[in-house]
Amino acid sequence: MSDSVSLDELITDEWYPGFKPEYGHAAFACEPIDTFHEKDKERFWFLDFHWPRGLTPMGLIFLEDGYCWGTQCAAQGLPLPPGKGLTQRIGGTHVYASEVPNTSQWELGYRGARIEQNLPKFLQNFDEIWNNRVWELELGLKHFENYEFSGKKLEDIAQYLIDARTFQKRAWEIHFEMMYPLLANYLGFYGICSEFNIDPGEISKFLQGYDTKILECDRELWKLTASAREDGIEDLFAQNEPEVLKRALSQDPRAGRWLSRFETFLQNFGWRTEGISDIALAPWIEDPTSPLGTIKTFLQKGEIHDFEKAKRAAEEEREVAIDQARSKLTKEEQAQFDGALESCKAANFAWWNDEHNYYIDLRATIPMRRGCLALADAVGADTYDDTLFLFWPEMKEIVEGDKKFSDFKSIIHDRRQYYEHWLAKRPSMPKVVGNIPEAVSDPIMIEIFGMHHHFFNAMKAKGKDVQTLTGVAASAGTVRGVARVLHNASELHRIQPGEILVCEATSPNWTPAFAKISACVCDGGGTLTHASIISREYRIPCVVGCGLATDMIESGDEVEVDGTKGTVTVFKKKAAA
Amino acid sequence: MMQSNTHVVWVDDLCSGDMVPRAGAKIARLGELRKCGVLVPDGFVVTTDAFSAFMSETGLDAEMRRLFAGCSPSDAEQISHTARDARALVEATPIPASIADEVVEAYEELSYRLRDLNVPVAVRSSATGEDGAEASFAGQFDTFLGVTGNDRLLSAIQRCWGSLFTDRAVDYRCNKGLSHEDSPMAVGVIKLVHARASGVAFSVHPVSGNPHRLVIEGSWGWGEAVVQGLVNPDHIEVGKSDRRVLEYKVSDKQVVSAFDYAQGLVVEHEMPRRLREEHILEDEEIQAIVDSVLAIEKHYGHPVDVEWVIDRHRRPKEPITIVQTRPVTVKAKTEATKTAPAWNPVAYAQKYAFGTK
Repeated sequence: MSDSVSLDELITDEWYPGFKPEYGHAAFACEPIDTFHEKDKERFWFLDFHWPRGLTPMGLIFLEDGYCWGTQCAAQGLPLPPGKGLTQRIGGTHVYASEVPNTSQWELGYRGARIEQNLPKFLQNFDEIWNNRVWELELGLKHFENYEFSGKKLEDIAQYLIDARTFQKRAWEIHFEMMYPLLANYLGFYGICSEFNIDPGEISKFLQGYDTKILECDRELWKLTASAREDGIEDLFAQNEPEVLKRALSQDPRAGRWLSRFETFLQNFGWRTEGISDIALAPWIEDPTSPLGTIKTFLQKGEIHDFEKAKRAAEEEREVAIDQARSKLTKEEQAQFDGALESCKAANFAWWNDEHNYYIDLRATIPMRRGCLALADAVGADTYDDTLFLFWPEMKEIVEGDKKFSDFKSIIHDRRQYYEHWLAKRPSMPKVVGNIPEAVSDPIMIEIFGMHHHFFNAMKAKGKDVQTLTGVAASAGTVRGVARVLHNASELHRIQPGEILVCEATSPNWTPAFAKISACVCDGGGTLTHASIISREYRIPCVVGCGLATDMIESGDEVEVDGTKGTVTVFKKKAAA
Repeated sequence: MMQSNTHVVWVDDLCSGDMVPRAGAKIARLGELRKCGVLVPDGFVVTTDAFSAFMSETGLDAEMRRLFAGCSPSDAEQISHTARDARALVEATPIPASIADEVVEAYEELSYRLRDLNVPVAVRSSATGEDGAEASFAGQFDTFLGVTGNDRLLSAIQRCWGSLFTDRAVDYRCNKGLSHEDSPMAVGVIKLVHARASGVAFSVHPVSGNPHRLVIEGSWGWGEAVVQGLVNPDHIEVGKSDRRVLEYKVSDKQVVSAFDYAQGLVVEHEMPRRLREEHILEDEEIQAIVDSVLAIEKHYGHPVDVEWVIDRHRRPKEPITIVQTRPVTVKAKTEATKTAPAWNPVAYAQKYAFGTK
C-alpha cells in the first residue's frame, strides 16, 4: 500500500514537557539524537523494540551516551564502510532509529581499506579483547554495586551519578565495539553458507550449544525450582501471586532455607533488569517479583527442564549439522567452510550475543538507577523514583544548589502523565515512519532488527489482505495453535501453556516464557536475535523478521508457524468482538 | 577394395583433428577417445565425401542453390518453407548405388564383427564447419537409436543429411552467408549399446562453473529422454579431488527411452511405476562414470561434457560406455575457488554484511 508513513504527530522541539535541549548538548560522533523534524520525513525510521515502555527523561541519557554515541563511535572505529552507526529520534517517549549513511565515495574506499586491516586482527584476538573488556566491566560494576549510600552527602551522590554515567557510556562503547565486527563476520559466514546452498535453519545450528551467563542464570532458576519442591513449599508459590510472594515466603518458617539460597542467587544474578538498559526498571536485587514469578511458573509446569540433556542435544545437533553440511561440499569448499566456521567459533557472535547481556544490556544502567533513587531519597522526593523524570542538567542544578527539588514537583507530575500517555499509545505506534527503503546497510539493522527483503516486503504489503507472513526461518518445526500477542514483558504472565507467542521481539527477560510457549513469532529480528536462539535451545519453532505480525495477528487467532520455511499462516480470526 | 573407399571410415581409423572435415567433430572425437582407451562402441562414419557425392550425383546441389537463391535472412516464414522443401528433397531422393552399396557393406561388416544379423545401431549426424555449426544443430532431430536393417539404415542416414536443412541450420547459414556445401554433413553409424541407464555428465558444474564439482544426470534406459529434456533426471554431484558423492537427488522419472522391437527403434514410453523413484546409479557406477569423465577432461585439457551409457551387460569394475563428448565453455569460476581457500572475513563482510546483497 504505502511506501511512506506519516510522522506529523511526532514533530516537536520539546523532549518532554518543559525540556528543550540546546543543540549539540548530547554526545555524538556524527549525528545527535533529537526529536522528529520536518527533514526527517525523507529518511527511514523504525520503532526500536528494545524499549517497549518508552524511556523516562533520565533514561534518555542511554540513547545519547549508549545507543547514539556507542554505535557511531564503533562504526568509526572498525570502521563500517557504508554506514556511520545509528541515530535516534524520540517519538513521544519512544525510540525510533535510523542509520547514518556514509555518502562519500572516497570515505567508502578509505573505510574499506581500514576494515581490511582491522577486522581480521579483531577476530584473531577476540578472546583476549573480550576478556579484557569483561575485566574492565567487572571492575566498574564491583565499585558501583558495592557502593554504600547510607551516610553519604548530596555531593557524594552527585559524584557517584556522574561516575555511573561515565561507566554506562563506556559499557556501551564496548558493546558496539564488539558487536559490529562480530556481526560483520557472522553475516559473511551466513553469506558463504548460502553460496553453498546450506539451509538457513542449519546455519544457525553451527554456532549453538555454548554456555552463556544468561543460560547459567536460567539453570540456577530451575535449581531453585527443584529445591522449592524438595523443601515442600510449592503451596506457597501456588497460593500467592508473584507480587506478594516475597512477603509470603519470608513469613513462613518453612521457606527459611530456600530464601537464603534465593538471596545467594540474587547476589550473583540479581543485578539484572527485565529489559535492556532502561533506568525505570527495577533490578531483581531491588524487586525479586520477576524471578519469583518465573519459579512459580516453572513449578506449575511440573517437570524440571533438563539443562544437561538440552545442552547435550544442542551440541549433538550442532555437530550433526556441521557434518551434514560438510558432507555436501567438495574438499575445496570444505576448506573454505572450515576456515569460516573456525573464525566464527573463535569469535562467536551467537554466543556473545547472549553472553554480553549479562554484563552490559541488563546491568550497566543499574548503577545510574541506584544513584537516582539515592538522590530522590536524599532530597526528600514524594515518590522514590521521581528523579528518573529529571533531565541531567536539572539534576545538576539541584545538587549544585541552584534550584530546589520542590521546584520540579509539578513538572515531574506532568512528565509522569506524559510517560503514561505514551505508554498507552505504544501498541498503536507505527512500526516504521518516513520513506521505506529497498534495503539498509547497517549490520545491526539487518541482523538484530531483521531488516532484510522479507521485512520491507511485508511493510509495503501493509493493508493488503495478507494471510501468510514470511520471515526468517529461525528455529525448525511446525506448530499450529492459539496466538498470544504481547507488547511488553510485563504481560508475560498472561501466556497459557501451549500458546504461540507473537511480539515485536523478545529480550533476555522473556526467556522463562519459552518454557511455556509452543512457538514464537516476532516482527523484527534475525537468526541470532534473542528469540531465535532461545527457541532453538527450547526446541520450539520460531519465525522472526515478519514485519507486521503484531499488527496482523490478534490474541486468540489460530496460527500455524513453520519455522523450517519461515512462514506464519493466519487461519482464522477470532470471532468478531 | 576397402582402401579406395572414401565414403565410409571406421571409428578405429579416425585419428584426431585431421578427420573432422570428413567425419564431423562429434564422430571424430569418438575415434580419438577410442584411441586413448575410453570405452566407445564400434562403428563407422558415412563421411562428408559420401554426402557431397550424394548431393552432386543426384543433382541436389544445383536444386538447393536454386531453392535458396531467393532466400532472405530476415524472412523467417520463407526460410521455414524453403527448409522444409529442401529436407523433403534430401529424404526422397534415392541414394546412388555407388554410395549405398558401400554403406550396406560396412553395416554388414559391423554385424559380422559383432556376430549378429542386422545389428541395431545409433545413427547420429556429425556436423562440420565452424564451431557455431555444431551448436546450431544440437538437439535437432539428428539421432536415431536402434536402427536395424539396410533399408532403415539408409533412410536414417538420409534423414540425418536432411537435418542439415532444419529451420535453425538454414537460418544460421543464411545469416552467415554460407551454403550447405561449406559445412557438409557426416553421419555416424555406431553399435547400439543396450542401455540399462544413461545420461550426461559435466566435468565442471554446468551452472556455477565450479571446477571442483563433477555433475552427473541420468535416467533409466537410453539417454534420449534426458538429452531432450523429456524426463527429470537423477542429479548427482561429486567432488572431483576426493571423488566423494556430495549430493544424490533422486527424481520422479516419468518417461523412459526404451527399445521398441516392433518398430525397431528406441522410442519414449511411460516409465514403469516401480522404477520412477529408484536410484539409477550405484556408487560403483558413479565412480566408473567419474573415471571416464576425468580421463576425457585430462586428455583434452579443458572441461568437457559427455553422454554416457551403462550397458545392460556391464559388470562391476568394467568401464562405462561413452557415446559422445564435447568441450564445455562455461566461464571459469571465480578466483575464490582457485586461490588459497582461507577464510577472508573482510571480503565476505563486504559482500553480505552491509546490505549489498
